[in-house]
Amino acid sequence: MLTQIVVWLNQWANGIAGLVLRPVSWTPGWVSTTVIGALAGVAMLIVFKYTSHQSAIKRTRNQIKANLLALSLFKDDLRVGLRAQGSLLLGAGQLLGLSLAPMLVMLIPTCLLLGQLALWYQAKPLAVGEEAIVTLHTAHDPDSVANVQIAAAPFFEVAKGPVRAPADDFVSWQLRGLQPGTHEITFELADQQFTKQFSVGDGYMPISLLRPAWNWSEVLLHPREAPFGAASPVQSIEIVYPDRDSWTSGTDSWLIYWFLISMVAAFAARPFLNVNI
Amino acid sequence: MTQSANNSVSRRAILQGAAATAGVGALGATSYWLGGVNRVSRSFGKKVIVIGVDGMDPRLCRSLMNSGKMPNMKRMAAVGGFSNLATSCPPQSPVAWANFINGAGPGSHGIFDFIHRHPHDQCVPFYSAAETLPGDGFVELGEHRLQLDFWPFNHEPPKTVLRRQGVPFWDFLDKQRITSVFYDLPSNYPPSPSQYGYHRCVCGMGTPDMQGTYGTYQYFSEDSPASGLDEGGGKRSKIAFENGSARVTLIGPENSMLKHPTPITVDVDVHRDSASSTVLLEVQGQKIMLKPGEWSRWTKLDFSISTPRPLPSQHANGICRFFLQESGPNFRLYVTPINVDPSNPAVQLSEPSNFIEDVSQDLGLFYTTGFQEDHKARSNGVFNDDEFRRQATSVLEERLTLFEYAVENYDDGLLFFYFSSSDLQSHMFWWDADEDPQHPTRSSPEAASRFQYVKELYQRLDGIIGDIYDRYGDKATIYIMSDHGFANFGRQFNVNSWLRDFGYLNPRECASILTDADWSRTRAYGLGINGLYLNLKGRERDGIVEPGEEQEKLTRQLIARLKSVRDFNGKQVIRNVYRASEIYAGNATALAPDLIIGYARGYRASWETCLGELTPDVLLDNTSAWSADHCADALEVPGILCCNKPIHSANPSLTDIAPSILADFGIQTPATMTGRSVFTT
Repeated sequence: MLTQIVVWLNQWANGIAGLVLRPVSWTPGWVSTTVIGALAGVAMLIVFKYTSHQSAIKRTRNQIKANLLALSLFKDDLRVGLRAQGSLLLGAGQLLGLSLAPMLVMLIPTCLLLGQLALWYQAKPLAVGEEAIVTLHTAHDPDSVANVQIAAAPFFEVAKGPVRAPADDFVSWQLRGLQPGTHEITFELADQQFTKQFSVGDGYMPISLLRPAWNWSEVLLHPREAPFGAASPVQSIEIVYPDRDSWTSGTDSWLIYWFLISMVAAFAARPFLNVNI
Repeated sequence: MTQSANNSVSRRAILQGAAATAGVGALGATSYWLGGVNRVSRSFGKKVIVIGVDGMDPRLCRSLMNSGKMPNMKRMAAVGGFSNLATSCPPQSPVAWANFINGAGPGSHGIFDFIHRHPHDQCVPFYSAAETLPGDGFVELGEHRLQLDFWPFNHEPPKTVLRRQGVPFWDFLDKQRITSVFYDLPSNYPPSPSQYGYHRCVCGMGTPDMQGTYGTYQYFSEDSPASGLDEGGGKRSKIAFENGSARVTLIGPENSMLKHPTPITVDVDVHRDSASSTVLLEVQGQKIMLKPGEWSRWTKLDFSISTPRPLPSQHANGICRFFLQESGPNFRLYVTPINVDPSNPAVQLSEPSNFIEDVSQDLGLFYTTGFQEDHKARSNGVFNDDEFRRQATSVLEERLTLFEYAVENYDDGLLFFYFSSSDLQSHMFWWDADEDPQHPTRSSPEAASRFQYVKELYQRLDGIIGDIYDRYGDKATIYIMSDHGFANFGRQFNVNSWLRDFGYLNPRECASILTDADWSRTRAYGLGINGLYLNLKGRERDGIVEPGEEQEKLTRQLIARLKSVRDFNGKQVIRNVYRASEIYAGNATALAPDLIIGYARGYRASWETCLGELTPDVLLDNTSAWSADHCADALEVPGILCCNKPIHSANPSLTDIAPSILADFGIQTPATMTGRSVFTT
């Protein structure tokens, strides 16, 4: 049930992201991550404003300020100091509690947004002539491993393989991209066909690293392609794309950069939007 | 009128002067910017470029130059000069390069052989150029033993120290704020520090792998012994497939935080598809697909060093490449020694320490161990000749990429670049049939075809020399130099067996001086390649030879007898024997052997001699794939010096290069050096 909900949410997110994130493909990576991070930070601030108890947050923050003042004014009075410190701890806990509701509200949209952004920044497409390993995992059935075939197509060629590993239920090929574009590779097994997106090109394009199994967490992380059914003889298909190398929009850093920018934007916008956080 | 004429002339002169100045300026600017087009530094600073070509032999160079196969070196020699370059005694690379570094002999730097011994340990061997010293103090927590180097503990962790003594010549450049950059400099690991920040260096020969050795490959095959086999420089392990899949274990560095250190390992899943003759390797989430005969790219390995909870575990990064030699019927997989990752080095590999990371950021991953051509894999039969040549060629390709980087990033000052290919490929493929027509293991045509590889390599290196000469011939002083030459190595001489036969080493049944020598009856022993030590009383732990008269008598006797050794065919085996006291001068002679044996061409110390083992016979055929060497008499195997500036010295030597470089920068030869500039008569 949970997986089905995530699938529905992904369909909705894919539709919106297909329109909203389209400029990423023709914008420099640092510009798109910065703009998206800043807009997301401001949006999260607005959501926070309307889903949190602003007056309670303001009151708690005032109490914290008062306790900090008490600490500096009565530093020679151990009793007052200890009480102020206790109150500070309590205030911090209260602030955290007051943030829970908006955080819960933002959790799902943020996860969906990050899943969409990962499609653009987590890897780069294969250059024409470049090779990648494609691995198809089957349900536990040695016959499936032995019989699955990859259908020839003009946009790729098999450089090496297949390597069939019946003990581990997978088959791998090393494919070479021949034509730019987002293509679909077809795999054939027992009169059934299974597809997987295959991206060749340069610059930025949405890349699906994995067509997932029927598992809600994998589906959340890999939203672009519909998951295989729980009873499908093919459980998942994965492509190892090259890493994207950039401080702002690269494989290992885009998420950190995005969080930094969104936080900076939220803090910068806070006085203008009059939000207590 | 006169006034007017004068004014007119004056205006013309001004205009002409302005035009000339503009023309010169435009020409200068054009030349300056053309520098960028021609891939030449635009800096106006003094430039000196030194290309160190390990083991390049003057005889072969001359022969190839005369036959027009090394046109670039010939062209450069015509402008400047080409000469033999006297090598070190003994002519071993760590000794020779240390001579180059100090501008002085072994007495100044204290490196006399690949292998040294501490007299107080009675011949326990260690690598001469660097030594790992044990730490001091620790606290024990469960299975772990921690060394905390802060107050109040102040423990001293183990550390590797550079054994080379004396003052390296770049220190004098550094002091004068002159930039010097070295790539793969031998005999400088760990790197000596730069006091003023103008010296940069990537360490070369002597740099260990992640296991702390000088290169230990790992080899997996279906026909390896079930219990595995540790062979010199490598480890063989058996791989057994079940349903097409198998798991092998790569051995990495030791976890020194454990009370009983054990190696940290990384598993590799191997999947073989017999139908497509393809293998898939899975290691730490990375997938590598290989066909027989294919090499993988460099692969990063993360070694997790366990620590006591709740401390976070530490990590050390290594890199390796896989080579699928055969997928079936006998699966064979070679894994390079696990090199320290240059993009995130676990130990200091360069000075400053981030220099190698900067290089790696531009070039990606590359070999960092000192010995990169895997001669041990060839000697142990893991590689055949073709496989070794392919591996050695891939090393050269990698060096050429680094060389291009070095030249592209060079502005002025000193640039030094080292090529190892000519040394390690010569060790395996050199055979001069004019000196000895019969190779000990190869047929004559086969030996000739392998020697052709060496000649082709020289031609390729000549192309590189030509490129640098074209780019910098009129802008920089260029030195092409080698540390020594080469000679056949067909017969081997076991010094310790010879000493045993003459009763200098006892008992007669002694198999190794490290384990079963009777020091109370042993007066001399051999260790390393060229060294012979007296078991001197007061110096060696169990010394018996009285210093003074007895020492002198024994020394004379040994020299005379060694020089009279003849092979079965009457050939002289040892050309000369040198007394350390006569050929070494300086403050660093404490570990010097008493005698240095200079072998005749075609001979060398036996493999067993190096680590003190004995064989029944004194003289044997060398049946190793390592069939050429340079550890002979220094006079037999000089190196080369080719320069684009006239060489005036009649007999230039390795120790003369540093003074020559300093002279190029206007620095007088320091008192620490014994060499003198080759540009003075």
